[in-house]
Amino acid sequence: MQSDTVDTSCHAAIAEAVRTEARRILSDGTVTAVIGYAASRRKGSTQPIVITSVDDADKLIFSAACVNNLAVYLTKAKKDVPRSGRIGVVVKSCDLKALVGLMGEAQLKREDLYLIGIPCTGVLGSVLQPAALLTTASIASKCCECTDRLPPGCDFVPSVQLPQQPRLEQRYTDEIARLEAMSPAERWEYWKEQFSKCIKCYACRQVCPFCFCEQCLCDRNRPQMVEQTPRPAGNTAWHLVRAMHLAGRCAGCAECERVCPMDIPLNLLNRKMARELKELFNSEAGFEVRDKGPLNSYQDDDDQSFIR
Amino acid sequence: MQKQITEANFRLLLDSLLFKGQRVVGPRRSGGTVLYEPLASASDLVTDELPRRSVKEAFFPVCEDLLEYRKEGQQVALSDVTAERFPETVLIGVRPCDAAAVPVLDAVFSWDYKDQFFLERRARTTIIGLACTSSDDACFCSAVGLSPADPKGADLMLTPLVGGGFLVESQSEKGEAFLETWRDRFAEPDGTQTQALATPATQPFDLKRIKAWLDDHFEDAAWDSIATRCVGCGACAFVCPACHCFDIVDEGSEKGGKRRKFWDACGFWKFTHHASGHNPRDLQPKRYRNRIMHKFKYYDDKFGQTLCTGCGRCIRVCPVGIDIAGVLEEIQEKG
Ligand code: SF4
Ligand code: SF4
Ligand code: SF4
Ligand code: SF4
Ligand code: SF4
Repeated sequence: MQSDTVDTSCHAAIAEAVRTEARRILSDGTVTAVIGYAASRRKGSTQPIVITSVDDADKLIFSAACVNNLAVYLTKAKKDVPRSGRIGVVVKSCDLKALVGLMGEAQLKREDLYLIGIPCTGVLGSVLQPAALLTTASIASKCCECTDRLPPGCDFVPSVQLPQQPRLEQRYTDEIARLEAMSPAERWEYWKEQFSKCIKCYACRQVCPFCFCEQCLCDRNRPQMVEQTPRPAGNTAWHLVRAMHLAGRCAGCAECERVCPMDIPLNLLNRKMARELKELFNSEAGFEVRDKGPLNSYQDDDDQSFIR
Repeated sequence: MQKQITEANFRLLLDSLLFKGQRVVGPRRSGGTVLYEPLASASDLVTDELPRRSVKEAFFPVCEDLLEYRKEGQQVALSDVTAERFPETVLIGVRPCDAAAVPVLDAVFSWDYKDQFFLERRARTTIIGLACTSSDDACFCSAVGLSPADPKGADLMLTPLVGGGFLVESQSEKGEAFLETWRDRFAEPDGTQTQALATPATQPFDLKRIKAWLDDHFEDAAWDSIATRCVGCGACAFVCPACHCFDIVDEGSEKGGKRRKFWDACGFWKFTHHASGHNPRDLQPKRYRNRIMHKFKYYDDKFGQTLCTGCGRCIRVCPVGIDIAGVLEEIQEKG
């Protein structure tokens, strides 16, 4: 398929507005720190940065390579980020859904955050080549199916005109349809093959805002709950634990999938689970804080057809 | 010894090796990525892409069995895995930054304890290196004293020639023996020029100066600014050709199971978690500090060289954009 360029001309204005706002909220004491993106050494590359002084606001940027979901730094699993006072955080819509989820799980309070929302034209699917142009081919799969390009309910959103997006393919939808058309045995073969590639580096877990358990079940060794080695038994167990634990919680930010060095399509599994949850419990990740997730609450009219 | 081989003869040689039943491992496409894996035919070999994971797993697999136990009544039966069973292997298409890591690993695995699993595989492997004609801005071999044509660690070194084929230079007895065995496939060099080599852009590091700073700055605010963003995944260590930490675990049931050795990483919270509950590296910057200290100080103190060959893999995979070459630049400026 021929790939079209995605218009990212608004990025310069967004970056400028983020810098100005960061300067303002740091200098008037609204926040004690701002978590955002800064440029890194390689051409086009970016990295998360935590700034606490007005002078550092100049370091903030925004580009199609600003892929990280910064919500991960606000979980209790990451104790290294300063946690006193209100914290400013740069969020895209998909990242915001994760923050909202964390609020629902009593991990964060809205009043402790200052949300700097990004009007979003999409980000790169992979930053192995961070200087790559944003096109209909290089854009992240999650962005192809994103319907929330303007994050709602933020404290500040740069006012820019979002450009018209070229037509994008529905990669997850298509791939889920392909898998659903398979027999259960064929589908199992597909996932077995995918899981066999896993080297248990746990990058997927470490970037997931919802993987905030201070001790992961999969790390337990007294007693061992799940085989730890990267072999078929332990890998399958790990991926089932992950898929089930994230079902109904996953915000769809696709960070797990992006960071997997073995290119395992983890978000495909997440999306499939999300779809099941929508069908069975009419529940999906969004921008409303909910204090009960579908899998940790019970209602009389819950679907029970799976128990026979 | 210097020889030359045409592209066609090179592919034929590979197929002959495979036809003879020789195990040949090299970069090949595996799903969406390129990995060092056994080749089924010469056409599997990928020569223009650095494999996602390094060559270390040819000697130090992601996971391997060390022994098997079975318990019947009061009897416990143990069976060892004999390291002699490892097959003779030709490793081909090995990048200089990967090959150079092999002697670095040799030192670790044969120092206080001789790791027979590593060393037996090592003894049975011939390494055929391939000089690089392209690089990206994550590559920095030439900044840590190597180069896109460095033969360190290779038994034979291939350098692409203008118009196709390779210049072949033996670097060891194993390399000589290989050239001898297959001498009719090789020709004498006819003076054809080698292709232009890759030119990684990073300026050479002053590794002594970096080490001098590390020697005195175990505690320093810089660690926080460098590594607060580190999320503590093991991706950087897992793709690194020189990282070699592992864990050993028994898996199975009371009745029977296996003892296994598998990759570990200093970035993991669990890595130094003591049985008492205390963790001396309780925060992520302390874990990242260990990564840098191990590579550019501790390993140097012990073995007189650095534990990084500049392959850039950790830079490419780090989910939060931590760039080890950038970190070295920062430390060098302080030193
Ligand atoms: S499971 Fe993956 S897609 Fe879902 S919230 Fe976690 S990192 Fe994001
Ligand atoms: S990031 Fe990929 S390879 Fe690493 S543990 Fe997760 S699925 Fe496995
Ligand atoms: S530390 Fe990074 S650049 Fe150095 S050898 Fe390891 S993976 Fe390559
Ligand atoms: S780091 Fe050097 S030797 Fe390694 S692939 Fe890049 S150019 Fe080649
Ligand atoms: S430096 Fe990057 S790749 Fe390494 S543990 Fe930290 S986040 Fe993971």
